[in-house]
Amino acid sequence: MTASSSVEPRAGAPASTIISVRDLRKRYGQLTAVDGVSFDVAEGEVFGILGPNGAGKTTTLEMIEGMRPIDEGSARIDGIDVRRDPREVKRRIGIQLQSSAFFDELTLVELLHLFGQLYGRDVDPQALLGLIELTDKAKSQVRTLSGGQKQRFSIASALVNDPRVLFLDEPTTGLDPQARRHMWGVIRRIRGEGRTVVLTTHYMEEAEELCDRVAIMDGGRIIALDTPQALVDALIGRGFRKERVERLANLEDVFIDMTGHDLREDD
Amino acid sequence: MRLGVLWALFIASAKMFVRNRAAVFFSLFLPLIIMLIFGVLNFEGSTSIELGIVDEAQNDASAALVERLGDYDYLVISEGERDAELAALEDGDRGYVIAIPADWAPPAPGSESGLVAYASNADPAQAQVGQGLLQQAVGQALFAPAGGGTDEGSGFAAPLQFESVESRDLGYIDFLVPGIVGMTIMQLGLFGVAFGFVQLKRTGALRRLFATPTSPAYFLSAQVLSRLIIGIVQVAILFGVGIWFGLQMFGDYLSLLVIVLIGSAIFLAVGFAIAGWAKNEDQAAPVANLVSLPMMFLSGVFFPRDAMPDFLASITQFMPLTYVNEALRAVVNEGAGLLSLGPQLLGMGVWVVITFVLAVVMFRWE
Repeated sequence: MTASSSVEPRAGAPASTIISVRDLRKRYGQLTAVDGVSFDVAEGEVFGILGPNGAGKTTTLEMIEGMRPIDEGSARIDGIDVRRDPREVKRRIGIQLQSSAFFDELTLVELLHLFGQLYGRDVDPQALLGLIELTDKAKSQVRTLSGGQKQRFSIASALVNDPRVLFLDEPTTGLDPQARRHMWGVIRRIRGEGRTVVLTTHYMEEAEELCDRVAIMDGGRIIALDTPQALVDALIGRGFRKERVERLANLEDVFIDMTGHDLREDD
Repeated sequence: MRLGVLWALFIASAKMFVRNRAAVFFSLFLPLIIMLIFGVLNFEGSTSIELGIVDEAQNDASAALVERLGDYDYLVISEGERDAELAALEDGDRGYVIAIPADWAPPAPGSESGLVAYASNADPAQAQVGQGLLQQAVGQALFAPAGGGTDEGSGFAAPLQFESVESRDLGYIDFLVPGIVGMTIMQLGLFGVAFGFVQLKRTGALRRLFATPTSPAYFLSAQVLSRLIIGIVQVAILFGVGIWFGLQMFGDYLSLLVIVLIGSAIFLAVGFAIAGWAKNEDQAAPVANLVSLPMMFLSGVFFPRDAMPDFLASITQFMPLTYVNEALRAVVNEGAGLLSLGPQLLGMGVWVVITFVLAVVMFRWE
C-alpha cells in the first residue's frame, strides 16, 4: 500500500499541511534503512509512526528533524526545506531524543535557561516545569531524576522555543503504567496548545489513545497509513476476527485500578 | 558570533566542572596534595657539594687534579665552559666553581695554587661549611703524588681564594612548583576534557545540543574557554601555596601566563583528540594515561632531568611537557622573559601545531 497524501481536516479549524515528506531514503552500506517514505502531517495533528525495532522509525524521524543527512527525497516543515536549511527547521521544532540525557551537574532551571539561550530566547522555567509537573524538582540536578521524570523533563526542554511541531521518539518506553498515563496527559495538553506532535511508539494502545493518524512501518517502508479506527475497520472488513471472546477489562486495568493513577515518589 | 550563547555555555561548562567532584579532585586537589607531600618531605637535606670545574689548561696535571677531586664522594662534579658554569652558579645549580686557567701548572707546596674559585653567596651559613670541605679536598688533591695516597697531610692549608658570586638560593620548592604547574595543566587538558566530553558523547547529552539551531562549535569554544580559566585559577592557587612554602618568583607573571596558555592549548588539543576518538570512558582512560604517565616522570616534574641516563634525556627533551616545564622554570627560577625562551617556545609551537592537527583529524561528534 502506498502512503496516503490526503489529510483529514480536523473539526473546527481548516487543516493545513505542516510537514510534507516525499520519497525519503537512507542507506547504510548494503542496508536500506529507510526506503522511500512519503507522508503529510496536518497542523495540530498527533501523528504516530509505529513499527517493530529496525523498521526505520527513528532514522525517518531524525532525517525530518535535520539530525541526520537525507540521502534521497525531501522533507519540508512549515514550508522550510530540511535539506536546504536544517538550522531554520530546528528553530521551529522541538525534539525529544530516544535517550534523554542532559548535563548531569546542572539543575532543571539552569538547563531550561541554557536551552533557551541556544534558541536566543528567555524562558519561563516554572511554566515549563508546571506543564510536566516537576515544579518541586526545579532546583535539583538532572542526575537525581528518575527515568520517567527525565523523560518528562526532556519534553520540557523540547518546548523552550515554543515550537510548532514536537517530535517525540518513544516517549513512554521503559515507564511504568502510571508514568505512561501521566505522559499521555502531558502530550494531550501539548496538543491542546495547538502544536503538532509526531511520535514513535511500540505500544498500540498508546497509539490508539493519542494519535489522530498512524503510519505503520516495516523494512524501511510505510505499509499502512490511516486513522487507528479506519485501520481496525479495514482489518475486520478483510474478515479478521479475534479468537478470544472480548473481555471487559484486562490486566493493566486491574493494575491501574488497584495501584491508582497517581505517580509514585521515585518516578 | 552570538556572545550570549557563548557566555551561557561557558557558565554551564564551568558549573559542570566545579560540581563534578572527581574532576575537581583529580585536577585541583591531587596536584596540591602532591605538592604538599613533596614540600614537607623536602629533598634538600643532602650534604653533597655541587662543584663546577672549568678546565682551561687541558694538560696532564689539570686532568689528574680533576680525577683526584672525583674521588671525594661528597663532591658532585660537573665540567664545562667558564661562562656556562658561572651561569649555573648564578642560577643556583652549582654551589662553587673552580677554574683551572690555561697556563696552569701544579704549584709547589706552600705557594699559590693558581686556581680561581667562585662561591655562591646565596646561603652564607651553608657556604662556610662547604668552603671548608672544598679547601680540604683541593689541598689534598694538589698535594697528592701521582698514583694516589691523599692522606699524608696537606701542603695547602687554604689553596682557594673564593670570589663571591651573586646568585639565587633555590630550594626544592622552587624546582617543584613550576613542575607541578606543568603537570596540572597537562592533567586538566587531558583528563578534564577527555572524560567529561566522552561521557557527554556516550550518554547522548551532546546529541541533544545538535537538536538546537546553535552550532556545536559554540559548545567546543565554551569548553576550551572554561578549561583555560579554570587552569589559570589552579595555577594561581598552586603559586599561592608555593609562595607560602617559600617559592621565589624571579620572572614576570605575564610571561608565566603566556606559557601556561600555550601549554594548556597543547594538552587541551590532545584531550580533544582522545575524546573525539574514544567511544566511552573505558577507551579514553588508558590512552590518556599512556600520554600523561611517561611525561609525569620523564619531563622533570618532580626531579631534575639531569639525573637521567643520556639516551633517555635525549629522547625526553622533545616531550611537550619538557618544553613547558623548562620554560616555566626559566621564568620562575631565572627571571627569563619570553624573548629569551626561543628554543622552548619553538618546541611548544611545534607541539601546538602537531596536537591541533591531531585533534582535527581524530575528532568525531558521535
